[in-house]
Amino acid sequence: MLKDITLGQFFPGDSIVHKLDPRMKIILMMIYVAAVFFADTWLTFSLLIICTLALIIVSKLSVGTILKGMKPIVFIAAFTAVINIFWSTGETPLVSFWGITIYPEGLRMAVFTIIRIVSLVTGTSVLLTYTTSPMALTDGIERLFSPLKKIHVPVHEFAMMMTIALRFIPTLVEETEKITNAQKARGADFESGNLLARAKAMIPVLIPLFVSAFRRADELAVAMECRLYHGGEGRTRMKVLKLSVSDIVFLIISIAFFALMVVL
Amino acid sequence: MKVVPRSERHGHNIVAKLELENVSYVYGAGTPFCITALKDINISFGENKITGIIGHTGSGKSTLTQLFNGLIKPETGVVRLDGMDIWEDPKAISKIRHRIGLVFQYPEYQLFEETVEKDIAFGPVNMKKTPEQVKLLVEQAADFTGIPKSMLCMSPFELSGGQKRRVAIAGVIAMDPDILVLDEPAAGLDPGGREEILGRIKAYRDKKNKTVILISHSMEDMAKYAEELVVMKNGTVIMHDTVAEVFKRTDLIEETGLSVPRITKLMKRLKKDGYPVSDSVYTVEAAYNEIMNVLNKQ
Amino acid sequence: MPKEIIISAENISFEYPTDDMSVNHAAVSNVSIAIEKGSFVAILGHNGSGKSTLAKLFNGILVPTEGKIFVKGMDTSDDDLLFELRKTVGMVFQNPDNQLVATIVEEDVAFAPENLGVQPAEIRKRVDKALETVGMKEYASHAPHKLSGGQKQRVAIAGILAMEPECIVLDESTAMLDPAGRAEIMKTIKRLNENGMTVILITHYMDEAAEADRIIVMNDGKVEADGAPRKIFSEPGKLSAIGLDVPQITELTELLSSSDIIKNKFSFPKGITDEDEAADYIERLFDSFGAAVRPQ
Repeated sequence: MLKDITLGQFFPGDSIVHKLDPRMKIILMMIYVAAVFFADTWLTFSLLIICTLALIIVSKLSVGTILKGMKPIVFIAAFTAVINIFWSTGETPLVSFWGITIYPEGLRMAVFTIIRIVSLVTGTSVLLTYTTSPMALTDGIERLFSPLKKIHVPVHEFAMMMTIALRFIPTLVEETEKITNAQKARGADFESGNLLARAKAMIPVLIPLFVSAFRRADELAVAMECRLYHGGEGRTRMKVLKLSVSDIVFLIISIAFFALMVVL
Repeated sequence: MKVVPRSERHGHNIVAKLELENVSYVYGAGTPFCITALKDINISFGENKITGIIGHTGSGKSTLTQLFNGLIKPETGVVRLDGMDIWEDPKAISKIRHRIGLVFQYPEYQLFEETVEKDIAFGPVNMKKTPEQVKLLVEQAADFTGIPKSMLCMSPFELSGGQKRRVAIAGVIAMDPDILVLDEPAAGLDPGGREEILGRIKAYRDKKNKTVILISHSMEDMAKYAEELVVMKNGTVIMHDTVAEVFKRTDLIEETGLSVPRITKLMKRLKKDGYPVSDSVYTVEAAYNEIMNVLNKQ
Repeated sequence: MPKEIIISAENISFEYPTDDMSVNHAAVSNVSIAIEKGSFVAILGHNGSGKSTLAKLFNGILVPTEGKIFVKGMDTSDDDLLFELRKTVGMVFQNPDNQLVATIVEEDVAFAPENLGVQPAEIRKRVDKALETVGMKEYASHAPHKLSGGQKQRVAIAGILAMEPECIVLDESTAMLDPAGRAEIMKTIKRLNENGMTVILITHYMDEAAEADRIIVMNDGKVEADGAPRKIFSEPGKLSAIGLDVPQITELTELLSSSDIIKNKFSFPKGITDEDEAADYIERLFDSFGAAVRPQ
């Protein structure tokens, strides 16, 4: 159902990856991304594939989920691969037709690019969006970056905004549906006409939606004040994030992985 | 329990204004989240009647209203308006929506135009009426809902909650539909506001002879304004009869998580204790008359 | 022994600022009220009677334009006391959707104590207790948008309880709920009151007000009537004159007692709201007329 859509695509579960500290996951993701860019030989790419597969397995996500997540990147991966095939030059041509020459180096580059893009997207999705609830992710970002508060980066405010957005997206989606139906019942037509006509037809939905969003914001602000909200200063949290053994183990493994990628 | 079709009850065969035959509806069909909202619904709504639909939240009332005017299509079964399947020509469904006016819950949240007049005119304009016709329809709708002329040029956002509600209802009445369906038209209003809105809807029906379908949680309002009642539970119709007959079945109503008017409870208690009063009483006046009758016999 | 007063309003008035200088939109004018600690007070009135404005004056969301309100001796217009004030008087609003902040029930309930800087272990304790009190413990890890209106509103109440206030104000918190949701809230607040919480319920539903110990009827920004429910309902004419309902039962007994044949022979107590009590009296009335069948 439409109402269930939240930012990203979180699949609840209880695997080790799900249970990792969100701060640690953000760090792991950074290490992983860096490692992907160090891959440049068959050996390092094999290592990358093995590690990504291992990550998918321990996350207990279904193959279908992973494949579905790859769908949007198929085009980009294919496109860059094709460019690599045709535009790379090497020493001995593999085939040559219509004035286009394909070198084995080009093929190799194409394969590497595909692996790089696919593992980049899959690995970060598995580490973060698929296995971390948006709430935990926001929480992780706030705490990980809280030292930036010293240089006046509004980390808490940003996290609070994210939280409220996450809280209200389902409410607003539901409301959009309701208003759309109400206007349809008054004979509004959203399906026919050219682009301009369709954009114009959205006005009867957008105006009530904005009016309502402002009203909600107003009421929420008062309710938050009544619950003693006064910014991030002096605020404590109910849930304390604590690093567990598995967090440390994952960190060691990923550092070792990164070191190998750099050395090899 | 038995649902007596209106045509049988009246002893002759007339086509019902709006009729649902074996209608079922499932949310999210084909996904693991699918929920059956309505199961095998058979109801017919008589012409010029105010029929109330009651039921607990989640009993399928709101889904039902959206089936009436083709906002959603039944999974199985047929919805007929004047004997014609409304989905016969799916492209013409917007014409059906013009004939069955649907007022949603808290309709004031759909107002968007600069002026009250333009907002009420939204429906008729969409129906491609001529400017003269639109003007007339808007005036009539404003009249029925008690919106004074001076208010027509105001912004709908300046009005009070109760006034906004009336403008929103006028926006549907202005389409001059055959059937007016209202989902909780008085929700959240104070007693004065409730009476004003419901009273005007009844007056509209009396004057224009329209079929009205009213959804409400308030048994007191139903007792006062509805003529027939449909009781819903878990996506099925468990009773469809006159208000008096429905209120006799306190057990059934309470089973659905609703309660009968307090006055009915009082009369039931008197009857149970052996006094010669009728228990199919649901208004203060009727209860008074019933009690006075007993005393006058002495 | 006189009861301790938790909120006292002394000749307060409040006017909403308007663009038009010639119109003074007085929402509350010259009201004096004292709310006793531990009491259950219903403030009744039609839309625009000033009842919601009054509620917002109780914890300093609005500050009276004239007069003063004291909450446990704290002046609500004193900005330095605002934090303490809001901790003492908690507010639950009308729209359950617009007061929940977090995407998980227990995180939302934890919001106020987190803002207070309470230690994590203590927050946990308060959250569990608050959810327990409103009967929502099993929904602790649910997303608020999937709950029913009554459940959301109970979560909102839990969010206030986690602040450990002494008084809770419900500003038309039942207006958007279905009968089942309203019943859930009424049950919850009555239980809170039994455990010593001061409850102020702003409503336009008569049957809800009838359950309070005291009803304050507002009209045109003024206190129209103030007293025990029975006293308030003993003058049904007064209530309907200001656009309020009279409970059906009260209306019936009132009609009966003023009818010609009953008037001098039998009298009903004033302001009956309960159907069983009314039935007892009507049966006595029947018996005194020697009516028909005796109960089996």
